[in-house]
Amino acid sequence: MIEVEHLQKVYSTKGSLLNRSQVRAVRDVSFRIPEGGAISFIGESGCGKTTVGRILAGLEAPSAGIVRLDGVNIHQVAAGERRNLLRKIQLIHQDPYQALNPAYSIEQALSAPLRIMAKQKGDTARTWIRDRMEEVLTMVGLDPASVLYKYPHMLSGGQRQRIVIARALTVEPTVLVADEAVSMIDVSLRLGVLRLLRDLREKLNISLLFITHDVAAARYLGKGGRISVIYKGLIVEQGPTEGVISRPQHPYTQALLSAVPVLKGLERMGADRFILAKEMNAQSAAETGCLFADRCPFAQERCFSEAPTLIDGEYQYACHFPEVRQVAAVAME
Amino acid sequence: MSMRLPKTVLHNRSAKSNYRQSFWAFAWQTIVKKPGRLIGFIIILLFTFMGIFGPYLYPAQLPINPNAIYAPISWQYPLGADFEGTSNLALVITGARYVLFAAAMGAVFTVAFGTILGLCAGYFIGWTDSVIMRITDFILTIPSFPLLVVLSTVWNFGQPVAMGFVLGITGWGGLARAVRSQTMSLRERGFIEAARGLGLSPLYILFREILPNVGSYIAMNLLLSVTGSIYAEVGLFFLGVVPFQVNNWGVMLNLAVFSAGAMSSPQALPYLLSPMLAILILTLGIVLFLDALDEMFNPRLRGV
Amino acid sequence: MSAELKHKQATAPAVQVRGLNVVYATNQGDLPAVRQVDLDIEARKITGIIGESGSGKSTLVMAMMNAVGKPGQIVSGSVEVLGVGDMLSIDRERQRKARGKELGLVFQAAQNSLNPLRRIGHQVLDLGRSHDVKDLRDLLRKAKDLLTRLGMDADRVLASYQHELSGGMRQRVGIMFALILDAKIVILDEATTALDMLSQASVLEIVRELHKERGLTTILVTHDMGVVADMADRVVVMYGGEIVEEGPSEFVLSHPAHPYTQGLVRAIPRISGDIDRAVPLQGAPADLKTYLEPGCPFYQRCPVAMPKCQESRPTSLAVSQDRKVACFKVTDHD
Repeated sequence: MIEVEHLQKVYSTKGSLLNRSQVRAVRDVSFRIPEGGAISFIGESGCGKTTVGRILAGLEAPSAGIVRLDGVNIHQVAAGERRNLLRKIQLIHQDPYQALNPAYSIEQALSAPLRIMAKQKGDTARTWIRDRMEEVLTMVGLDPASVLYKYPHMLSGGQRQRIVIARALTVEPTVLVADEAVSMIDVSLRLGVLRLLRDLREKLNISLLFITHDVAAARYLGKGGRISVIYKGLIVEQGPTEGVISRPQHPYTQALLSAVPVLKGLERMGADRFILAKEMNAQSAAETGCLFADRCPFAQERCFSEAPTLIDGEYQYACHFPEVRQVAAVAME
Repeated sequence: MSMRLPKTVLHNRSAKSNYRQSFWAFAWQTIVKKPGRLIGFIIILLFTFMGIFGPYLYPAQLPINPNAIYAPISWQYPLGADFEGTSNLALVITGARYVLFAAAMGAVFTVAFGTILGLCAGYFIGWTDSVIMRITDFILTIPSFPLLVVLSTVWNFGQPVAMGFVLGITGWGGLARAVRSQTMSLRERGFIEAARGLGLSPLYILFREILPNVGSYIAMNLLLSVTGSIYAEVGLFFLGVVPFQVNNWGVMLNLAVFSAGAMSSPQALPYLLSPMLAILILTLGIVLFLDALDEMFNPRLRGV
Repeated sequence: MSAELKHKQATAPAVQVRGLNVVYATNQGDLPAVRQVDLDIEARKITGIIGESGSGKSTLVMAMMNAVGKPGQIVSGSVEVLGVGDMLSIDRERQRKARGKELGLVFQAAQNSLNPLRRIGHQVLDLGRSHDVKDLRDLLRKAKDLLTRLGMDADRVLASYQHELSGGMRQRVGIMFALILDAKIVILDEATTALDMLSQASVLEIVRELHKERGLTTILVTHDMGVVADMADRVVVMYGGEIVEEGPSEFVLSHPAHPYTQGLVRAIPRISGDIDRAVPLQGAPADLKTYLEPGCPFYQRCPVAMPKCQESRPTSLAVSQDRKVACFKVTDHD
């Protein structure tokens, strides 16, 4: 189980010595993923969702907040133990081509982490590494004999992403962080990779954090899980996946759902669908009111002066004037 | 669903080689692809042989011939003869060993210092980077040739390894900078982050993940610093700041100019020009060959 | 339906592609990238061309502009563009003029089409000069109007370099460049691929509006079935360098005929209905080796393949008034 409490990340941009501005990439994010559970972070680019994933994977240090893995605060243990702890949290990159060293074959890519695992287990039998290699490759739906000696550039995008997932599985993680894990893959192969991640979650009881801007993919992968809508580093709406998608309360969630293309011939457009024309302005630091107020089509005076807080409950949202709107497309038949 | 494969499939070596040509076979293929590369390769090979076997081709004491002092170019003296009537060609060939060996050692030290320090600075960033880079700046600001001159007065360069070491110490700055910047961009790449996430040791990441990806750059610099080292050491001998212990190209240049007066008497010109010609040809060979290196180290081009 | 039919008879196609073949010269010989393509792009309609990487969709539209980059090479065929002639046989200068004036192209995220070292305003002037526009002031005014129409601060954008603009803004600038010389045929090549959902939706909305306002013929090249389904009147499905299915998008989506289209539609995760209706497509996309096979390019992934499919290629045949499919299972009735 992974618990995150009041995570914050502030970057200071490189200006002149005197004029250093600060960017608050993550303002306040808390969530927990139970074993085998899933949570999807949705939001547009620049909303801070990727930073949350990188902090979890130990690639960046938070400015404030606590990350607990099975009850242990990962930032309060000795460096050696932290390496072992962080190994339990594996990040699946957006671009599988970047994530594999072009100089090494799949066999070489998998054997490096497996050697560490073999040492840890004290199981030094040569065949153990081999067997495990075959096992993880089969688990991700690849034929070991046909991919093992290939190089990353000889594989398709979908296969490469499966290799990246297989490599993550070699260290027996308990949490997978999938950052836009399918956006660089051919469409016909995307669903296959999403399906694989879902199966792994169920079969190996791995917790999954899925970071995406694609609501439909989040819905597919996060079946039975929760969804968090994040805007400018702040969670604006949170709740069970199906519920948030069918009954969104926050206008930003509604904007994201409206943006999903409607499949003419299979779906009807949602009655209240609206397209957000205004782009996110990272500089407009109206820190007093609701962060979304400057783009919100339903904003009222109060939104600019007073920041809404996340209300408690099964469904949480931070909006002064919540209202369910029918924005998601509806399946015909 | 899970399909058990016979072990033999995975352990079969030929299955492996199906997917990758050996490095050497591929390297040869890239060399013969363009005539320029092949010529460069042959030149380098020739000079290597000259360095290794050159001294064995002639007696330890080269024959002198009083009748052939400053002999012009002929079949007997393809590059003319020197002030004692010794064949210039023989002098060039026997003098190659010290020059080339010291140059090779110089290149190896340059690349070793530059690569290791550059990798560490680029990967560990923070204070490691600051310390290494300040030292690098220091090395880069000191004009290296005058430093060599100073060092040569306190150090005995009879051993080519010593000469190489000194050349390496003064020459690694530029390479370290370049390797550092490449490492810095590589460390942001997904596969390095993944390696860190998998808990692989920093040493493994540095030398097994990053190093192969700057391989072509390092190999290129290795060859380029060979020429750089040759210029530097020949320069030292030419100026006469290093005691002449063995015959070499730098000594030839020095004697040609300061003893034989090649600048004023045209008959001594072949004596001056023959070591120069050797350096010129070797440089040409290295430049021609450099072109092949980038391709050679690119794993994506290696055929199935 | 009948109104649409009447409309169709009244207007000639904006682009008419016949017998187009494009090959890529590699060290393994010439590999066909687009094979024997016949296609009519209806005027004033949005046509979506959908396919995966390597399906030949981008090569096809580049061939329409006669701008296939090396090592690609157009081997045979003709591309009749309304009001221009055959793009593949008219002289080079006329071709160059046609690109921009008649055919506007919007690249992916417009990253490569903008010069990073020149301000947008300068690039507008450069474009005007290369197309012999007399009144450059007027051109700048037009650029401003367009940018304002696209919802941007025109003066600021014209004075900016590309790196000062966000992805969505850059894409809009790309659209401005495609339209500034009053091109009537606009090709968007993966124009929204690199954008997130919100920017994509707003860019698509603008494309839809401009399409209507200016009476454009829009060609939308994408790998995203959702974008095509939302935007296009007609959809052209490409696989392995060939058109495997084409027809009105609503019908193709609700009743896909080719097994590949069926698989694609089934593999779209949706935001309504039963999630588990989505089924992944098996196998890997067509690669260069697939092109050399004598049979149907989809043979290896096809769930309903017959022995015949491995031996010969199905040709694209009309199955109804405005629908064509290249599949033996669909077109053979004996």
